[in-house]
Amino acid sequence: MADQTLPISGSVDVTPPHAAAGTFLERLHGWVVTVDHKKLGILYVVYSLIFLLVGGAEALAIRIQLMIPGNHFLTAATYNQFFTMHGTTMVFLVGMPILFGFANYLVPLMIGARDMAFPRLNAFSFWLTALGGLLLYFSFIGGPGLYGMGAAPDVGWFAYAPLTAHVFSPGNGTDYWALALIVSGFGTLGTAINIVATIISMRCKGMSLLRMPLFAWLMLVVSALTLVTITPLTAAQFMLLIDRYLGGHFFDTQAGGSALVWIHFFWIFGHPEVYVLVLPAFAIANEIIPVFSRKAIFGYPAMVAASVGIAFVSLGVWAHHMFTVGMTSVSNAFFVLSTMLVGIPTGIKIFNWLATMWGGKIRFATPMLYCTAFVFQFLIAGLTGIILSVAPWDWQLHNSYFVIAHFHYVLVGAIVFNIFAAIYYWYPKVTGRMMSERLGKWNFWLFLIGFHVTFDTMHFLGFLGMPRSIYTYEPNRGWNGLNMVVSIGAFIQGVAALIFVYNLVWSYFHGEVAGNDPWDAWTLEWATPSPPPDYNFATDPEVKSRRPLWDLKHPDDPDWKYE
Amino acid sequence: MSAIPTVPELQDQPWHLPSRGRIGMLSLIIGESAIFTIFVVAYVFYIGKSLSGPTPGQVLEVPIFNTICLLSSSITIWLAERRIERNEIKAFGLWWGVTIALGVVFLVGTGLEWYKLIYHDGLTISTNLFGTTFYSLVGLHATHVVIGLAMLLLVLVFTLMGRVTEHHAERIQVLALYWHFVDAVWVVVFTVVYIVGR
Amino acid sequence: MTDTVQHEAGREREGTIHLPAPTAWPIVLAFGVTLGFAGLVTNLGVTVLGVILIAVGSIGWFRQVLPHEQHEDVPVRVQPVTIESSRKFVERIEVSEEHRAHLPVETYPVLSGVKGGIAGGIAMIFPALAYGLIAQHSIWYPINLLGGAGVANWRNPTTADIAAFHWEGLLVASVIQIVACLLVGLLYGAMLPMLPRRPVLLGGIIAPLLWTGLLHSTLGVINPVLDEHIAWGWFVISQVTFGVVAGLVVARESRIRTAQSLPFVVRMGIEAPGLMHDDHSQHSGEKH
Repeated sequence: MADQTLPISGSVDVTPPHAAAGTFLERLHGWVVTVDHKKLGILYVVYSLIFLLVGGAEALAIRIQLMIPGNHFLTAATYNQFFTMHGTTMVFLVGMPILFGFANYLVPLMIGARDMAFPRLNAFSFWLTALGGLLLYFSFIGGPGLYGMGAAPDVGWFAYAPLTAHVFSPGNGTDYWALALIVSGFGTLGTAINIVATIISMRCKGMSLLRMPLFAWLMLVVSALTLVTITPLTAAQFMLLIDRYLGGHFFDTQAGGSALVWIHFFWIFGHPEVYVLVLPAFAIANEIIPVFSRKAIFGYPAMVAASVGIAFVSLGVWAHHMFTVGMTSVSNAFFVLSTMLVGIPTGIKIFNWLATMWGGKIRFATPMLYCTAFVFQFLIAGLTGIILSVAPWDWQLHNSYFVIAHFHYVLVGAIVFNIFAAIYYWYPKVTGRMMSERLGKWNFWLFLIGFHVTFDTMHFLGFLGMPRSIYTYEPNRGWNGLNMVVSIGAFIQGVAALIFVYNLVWSYFHGEVAGNDPWDAWTLEWATPSPPPDYNFATDPEVKSRRPLWDLKHPDDPDWKYE
Repeated sequence: MSAIPTVPELQDQPWHLPSRGRIGMLSLIIGESAIFTIFVVAYVFYIGKSLSGPTPGQVLEVPIFNTICLLSSSITIWLAERRIERNEIKAFGLWWGVTIALGVVFLVGTGLEWYKLIYHDGLTISTNLFGTTFYSLVGLHATHVVIGLAMLLLVLVFTLMGRVTEHHAERIQVLALYWHFVDAVWVVVFTVVYIVGR
Repeated sequence: MTDTVQHEAGREREGTIHLPAPTAWPIVLAFGVTLGFAGLVTNLGVTVLGVILIAVGSIGWFRQVLPHEQHEDVPVRVQPVTIESSRKFVERIEVSEEHRAHLPVETYPVLSGVKGGIAGGIAMIFPALAYGLIAQHSIWYPINLLGGAGVANWRNPTTADIAAFHWEGLLVASVIQIVACLLVGLLYGAMLPMLPRRPVLLGGIIAPLLWTGLLHSTLGVINPVLDEHIAWGWFVISQVTFGVVAGLVVARESRIRTAQSLPFVVRMGIEAPGLMHDDHSQHSGEKH
């Protein structure tokens, strides 16, 4: 080819920088009325990080309560509210918003677009999600509660019927739970629609589907999955509200309704939801591992196929949460096998990450440390998942701390680790400054140690028969020492999280100036200045391969010759 | 990535992507379908599980006329879509108006049916499981009809004001896609409620 | 979002870019929706306020996008920036010839495995029947041993019982024999090209021996009754007969190319012009 330089240009903005302009109020106004995908992405992430701290504080309160037998740090009622709010917060107010925040910020940049497909819908969706979260937390102070301490929901994050019926849950706690999640669910649906439309309709010239960065691919899969995942929950919550407000009988066992239907509906949402959360974590690993291994991702088409495969299979595994409700052996066998089937595409991914690292020139900066830990922790989480998919085994361990340990291995060991990785990796792009590597290493090692102290130990508590959601326990059960260890690990993680927050703030003011491309990466977002201007790309980019920046950096050895 | 250099594909090919409006609407329809699926599944699961009357067989009448109206509105809106593409604004307005009229007839029909069920047969949403599932499923669909009608009406107002041109054809077709979806859902609701469930 | 920047490479240029204008209506509408729902747990007045906000927000939003989406023009001055890396040196991973040595370039067609299975299955009947005639004076003895595993009501049979004719035993034995021989034949068809040297020796003799050993060590646990009645020497002979015959039949069939050496995308049948290339023989490791 004659012309090796693609029309991707850096640019100099002649308008004065926005951050410096205006009073505080004017800047605040700028954030409130923004329709810019980058600002909304930042809003999503900051909002989620705040709730991560809130949810984390709830977890610490739970751990203090369980540290020693017969403790009375929390009352039983508050304890119920805390574990309900901890679960709901972490899934709906932290996990999904932060991952959609990353998608919001990065997807248009990665596919060479100026903005999302529907910028105003994007703002609307964010504010719905945010206000839904605030409505949920308003329950602590608003309205008379069952115990006179606010009406926070206390029915568990899965809100099983018939506990949610008016008779068993008077007060407004359950209503707050349903209403807040319906509101934020609308927001999630809007964002999912937006991301799908953006990725399908806004790609820059030359960015065919098989040239998209894997991050964008996985976000497409996640958003499409979200379309059919969050909506069943919204539907079921409307049914719950019909029961509670209009005297309906959907889940009213006294009038022929079935509590089992709620459990089915909840897990038809609940299990794909796990993949909605974990696939973005995979997406992050797909970007970070190649860059820090200095190699192209191994098996790109297999990664795409595996992601689509996981999404499809995940829609047919929900009842593995329900082995103990007494299904027929045929149903049990079906859900055992379909659950085990998930292991195949997931295994493909783990092998591909390892193969990407293999023979690479690996540099263990903080993002890569997190991603490396993620690969191995996710492997363990997957293995305990396969163990739990065996119905007779599940009958033994259902709702024990083994299950808690298993899914925290996924949610913390895989998702939170990769969220940290993503923030360390893209922080320079967003703020223009590097995060401190020294603090990053402290953060990583403390978090890693705390994580393993807590969640490895929890598996054994499960084997020893400790059930989930119990307020306290008797001293003669043999759980005392292990519970103390788990709580200590939780506090180590808490310290690591504080270091992380400190690093975020400190680096914003004192971090090393990053430049456009601090990691020497290959996707389009690194072609823009840091932070990117409002319009992202001054001229529309055009790509010829999966790694457009590689082509520019190595004009004599470009990728498009090989793909 | 194979290790063999390959011939790069021709540059300067035209770069076409699907319209974002259509993709967005299709995504919304997929999401909405999931909501309806949950309500339909609940309806089917609870058929015949009510502990007390009235039962569907006693009180439901098959709304043939209503159904014909709603389904034919899908045809009239399609005719309107074709007219706007060819910039025949008057004919577009006519067919669009007919679509709205048919939608309103359907809604009135549903209203009359509910009036009869509530005041003559004493079936409310809290009477029994049939009432709960019936009113929520049909009500969910009717809500979508109302939202759709409001949007259609808006377009009609602008058409009468002379603001609609063929440049708006795509937006109007996206809206029509929603209306087609509402009609298609009715086929499912009708089958489940009035044929299977009776 | 049309950009009016002139496309002209090499020097600084100016222009403006259309971006969607900031607007407060989305947050107003979102607040309205939230209040609308919040009224259910607080006070219906809140719902009324929410509905008002929804109405106001919808109208405002509508006027924002119709008749034209509102834009703001951002002035830009563009300067081409060269994107380079300090890491100029590119190294390809050296894949030694050994690495793909055992990936089968050619394999036997599925049918050859089926044929081998049928041939082997027929061949192994003879040593089994010979054993029955010589050791127990009844050709039904080995058949009943095989089929007896499937006859549910057969508990602790005597030797005479096993030597007599039972039609259920014959039926079950035939089914087991046919299914097992076909499956093992298929397995051979798939496996033999992967065995580096002397496929017939490995597949025909060593594999049956290993298989028999596995069965010998576990059958005592699985079915102790059956275990007592099996003469393992004869068992090995008929297994090896199967293995050798099936292996020979499979090995005599002509081979077909595997798709292993083609790129994944081509095998998936995805149309990707850049990925097709004519000569895939040269890197497919002609070594076996």
